[in-house]
Amino acid sequence: MTATLTPEKRPAPAAPPVGPRTTLAPPSRNTVTAAVLLFGLLAFSLWSLGEMDLRIDFTYALSFLERTVPFVWPSLPDALWYSVLTLAIVISGTVMAAVLSIPVAYLAANNTTPAQSTRWLGRFLSVTSRAAPDAIMAMIFALVIGQGALAGVLALGLHSIGMISKLTADAIEQIDEGPRLALRAAGATRSQEFWGAVWPQIMPSYIATVLHRTDINLRVSVILGFVGVSGLGYELSHALNTLNYREAMPWAIIIFALCVAFEIISSVVRKTLLGVQPTGRGLGDRIVRRATRDRADGQKPAAGAAAGRIRPWTSERVKTTSFAWIAVVAIVASVVISATQGSNFTNFWLNASIAFNRLWPPALAESKWETTAEKLFETVQIAGAATLLALVASAVIGSFAARNVAPNAGVRGGFRFLLVIIRGLPELLLCIFFIILTGLGPGAAVIALGIGGVGLLGKLMADSLEEVNPGPERALRATGATRVQIFTSATLPQAAPAFVGHILYLFDTNIRAATILGIVGAGGIGYMLAGAARINQHELLVLLLCVLVIVFLVEALSSFIRQLIK
Amino acid sequence: MSSSPVVTLTDVRKNFGTTQALRGVSLTIEQGEIVVLLGLSGSGKSTLLRHFDGLEIASSGSVEVLGSDVSALRGRPLRELRSRIGFIFQQFELVGSITVLENVLTGALARLTGPRLGLPTYPAALRDTAFDLLEEVGLGAQAFQRADTLSGGQQQRVAIARALMQDPDILLADEPVASLDPESSEAVMNLIREIGMKRKLTVICSLHQVELALSWADRIVGLRHGEVVLDTVAAGLSKEQVMEVYGRVATSTGEFEAVASELAETAAEMRAVVGK
Repeated sequence: MTATLTPEKRPAPAAPPVGPRTTLAPPSRNTVTAAVLLFGLLAFSLWSLGEMDLRIDFTYALSFLERTVPFVWPSLPDALWYSVLTLAIVISGTVMAAVLSIPVAYLAANNTTPAQSTRWLGRFLSVTSRAAPDAIMAMIFALVIGQGALAGVLALGLHSIGMISKLTADAIEQIDEGPRLALRAAGATRSQEFWGAVWPQIMPSYIATVLHRTDINLRVSVILGFVGVSGLGYELSHALNTLNYREAMPWAIIIFALCVAFEIISSVVRKTLLGVQPTGRGLGDRIVRRATRDRADGQKPAAGAAAGRIRPWTSERVKTTSFAWIAVVAIVASVVISATQGSNFTNFWLNASIAFNRLWPPALAESKWETTAEKLFETVQIAGAATLLALVASAVIGSFAARNVAPNAGVRGGFRFLLVIIRGLPELLLCIFFIILTGLGPGAAVIALGIGGVGLLGKLMADSLEEVNPGPERALRATGATRVQIFTSATLPQAAPAFVGHILYLFDTNIRAATILGIVGAGGIGYMLAGAARINQHELLVLLLCVLVIVFLVEALSSFIRQLIK
Repeated sequence: MSSSPVVTLTDVRKNFGTTQALRGVSLTIEQGEIVVLLGLSGSGKSTLLRHFDGLEIASSGSVEVLGSDVSALRGRPLRELRSRIGFIFQQFELVGSITVLENVLTGALARLTGPRLGLPTYPAALRDTAFDLLEEVGLGAQAFQRADTLSGGQQQRVAIARALMQDPDILLADEPVASLDPESSEAVMNLIREIGMKRKLTVICSLHQVELALSWADRIVGLRHGEVVLDTVAAGLSKEQVMEVYGRVATSTGEFEAVASELAETAAEMRAVVGK
C-alpha cells in the first residue's frame, strides 16, 4: 500500500504563503463573553456535583423493598374518585390560566400590544407568573381558603399563565399580518381584527400549548398534594408521611398510569381537532399512530355542486363539534367538582385576615439570613449539578436518538423510547424514591432532576441534531470521513448553538424544580419554605422574594447568554 | 352623480426614513372611473394606493377621499371611511383556517359591534348576502370549505366577495393578479371590471403589466420614482408610447419583466428595513 492511498499518511500540502492572518476573523467579544460565562457555569456545576453526597445506601434500599411489598391497593372507587378529582383540579386550573393568558399574550406580543408600556406590563405579568412557584402559592391559598381543591386550582391557574401566555405571544408574533391588514382596511376595530384574523391563525398552537400545559400540570399536581391539595398527590403524601409504603407505591403507580393515559388522550385530541399528524415521539403519539395506521382518513372536500346554504355535516365537522362538546362537558364538570371539594369560604374574610396577620409584616430573624443564603446557594448547586448530570447522559442518549447520528433506525427507536419512558416519570416520584434510598438531603434532588432532565434535554438535543442542514454531512461523507468525524465536524457544530439554549433552559427549569423538591425534604431553600409555610409564616414572603430574585437572575443570565450566541 | 371628485390628492409626499416613496403626487379621480396605476415595483403605486384608505398617512400634502381628509381621521370616522372602500390585495390575505363564507362575512365587521368568531355569530341576513356574493363570483359551492383549500384564483375571488360585502363606493386593488397564472389573471381582472361597471364603483387598480393595463383600464396613471409621469385615457394608447414614458424602450416584455422583478427585490428589502 502506498502512502497516497491512505489520506492520513499523505504528506501535508505545502503551507500557504505565510503572512499576517487576515482572513480568520478573531472571535467577537460576544462569543468570548458567552464562552467565559458558559465555562464558569460548567465549572460551578462540576464543583457542585463534587460537593453532593450521591452515595446510595443499599441497606436503605433493602429495608425499603421489605416494607413496600406486597402492595396494598386502594379500593377501585377510591382510586377512580381521586383520579377524577386530580384531573378536575388540573383541568380547572389549566383552563383558568388559558383564559387569563389571552389578554396577557395580547399585551405582551409586539404586534398586538397597544403601546410599549403595555408590552412591558404583559411581559412582567408573564415572567412573574412563571417565577412564582405553584407549590408555594398553593400553600398560601390553603391558608386562606383551606386545604382542598380550590387552592390547587388557583395555584396552577396563576402559575400556568406564564408559560401559556409566553408561547401564545410568540405565536401571535409569528402570524401572517396580511389578513389582519385586510380586516383593518375593511374598517374593523382592534378587537374585531384580533378575533377575526389573529385568533383563527394562532388557535391550533394555542390549543396544543394548553394541552401540553395540562400534561405538565398533571405531574405538578402530585407536588401540590404534599402541601395539602386534595387528589392523588395528597393520598400519596399521606401514605408516605405515615411511612406506609405498601399503600404509597400503588398510588405512585396510579399517578404514573394517569400521566401516560392523559398523554394519549391529548395526542388523540391534537390529531383529531387540529389535524396534527401524530409525528411526535411521545408515548401517546406512538399509540395513536399504531391504532390509526391502516385507516385511510384523507381530506374529503364537501360535495361541491349539491351544497346548499345549510352547512353540511361533514365528518370533519362532526368530529370537531363532538370534541368541542366533550371539552365543554369536561371543563364544566371539572369546575363543578373542584369548586365543591373541600374549599371553605364560610370564614373567608376571617381566614384571610388571620393569614394576612401571620404573613405580615414579613420578617426574617437576623440569625437566619446566613442559613437562607446557604440554602439558596444549595438550590442553585442542586440545579447546576443536576443539569450537568442530565447533560452527560443526554449527550449520549440524545445523539443516538437522532436519525442522522444513530447507526440505524432500530438504535434510534430504542433510544427515543427510553427518552419517552424517562419523560413519563413525574420527578417528584423519582425524588421521593431517592430520598428513601439516600436519605434526606440535596443528593436525592440532584439524582432525580438529573434523571428527569434527560427526558427533556435528550429529546431537545435529538430534535436539534435532526434539524441540522444535511449538506455539510453529505459533503464530509463524500470526502470519505468516518461516522464519528462527520458527527464531530458537521453535525455537532451546527447543532451546538441550539444545545446551549436547551441546556440553559434546563438549568432555568431545574432551579424552579429544585426549589419545589426541597418541600419534600430534598434540601435547598424549598425545605425552609415548607417550614415557613407551616410554622414561621412571617418568614414566607421574605423567602419567597429571595427565590424570585434568584429565578429572575438566572433567567436574566441565561437569556443574556442566549442573546450573545444568537 | 355629485360633481365633487371621489379622490383628490394634492402634492402628496411620503418618506420612509430617508427613502422618498412619493414625491409630490397630485391626482383627481371621478366617480365611476376605472383607473390603473401603472409602474414598476418600487415606483410607489402600492404606497399611493394605501394612502386612499389611511393604511399609510402622507408625510405632507392632502389626501381627500369621499369628502373627508384621510390624514386627519382617527378611530371610528376612519373605520367608517375604510368600510366604504374595498381593498383587494396581491396575496388575497384570507384567513386560511376558517371557512370561505366566514372570510366573506368579515367584510361586514365594520357594520357590526364587537368581535365575531364562527359563522353563527353573524346575523342570518348577512350570511344570505355573503352567499349571494359568493354565487356572484362563482364560488357558491365552496362556501363551507376552508379558505386555504382553494386555488389562488379562487381565493382572490373570495377576497373580491369580501370587499363587496362592505358595500363599498370605491374598490382598490393592489396588483390583484401578480400571484396568479395567466388564465386566472384574466378571469379575475374581468370579474373586477364587470363588478365595477355593474355597481358603478370607482375602481383603482395598481398593475405592472403594460399590455394588461392598456386592455383593461379607462384611464392610465403612470408612476415612476414616486412621481406621476403619465395620466391619460387608455383608448388609443400604444405599448411603445407607454414604454417611452418609462425612459426605457424595452424590446420585449421579458426584458421589461426582468428589470421589474429585480426592482421588486430591492423594494422588498427596503420595506423590510423600513418595517424594522
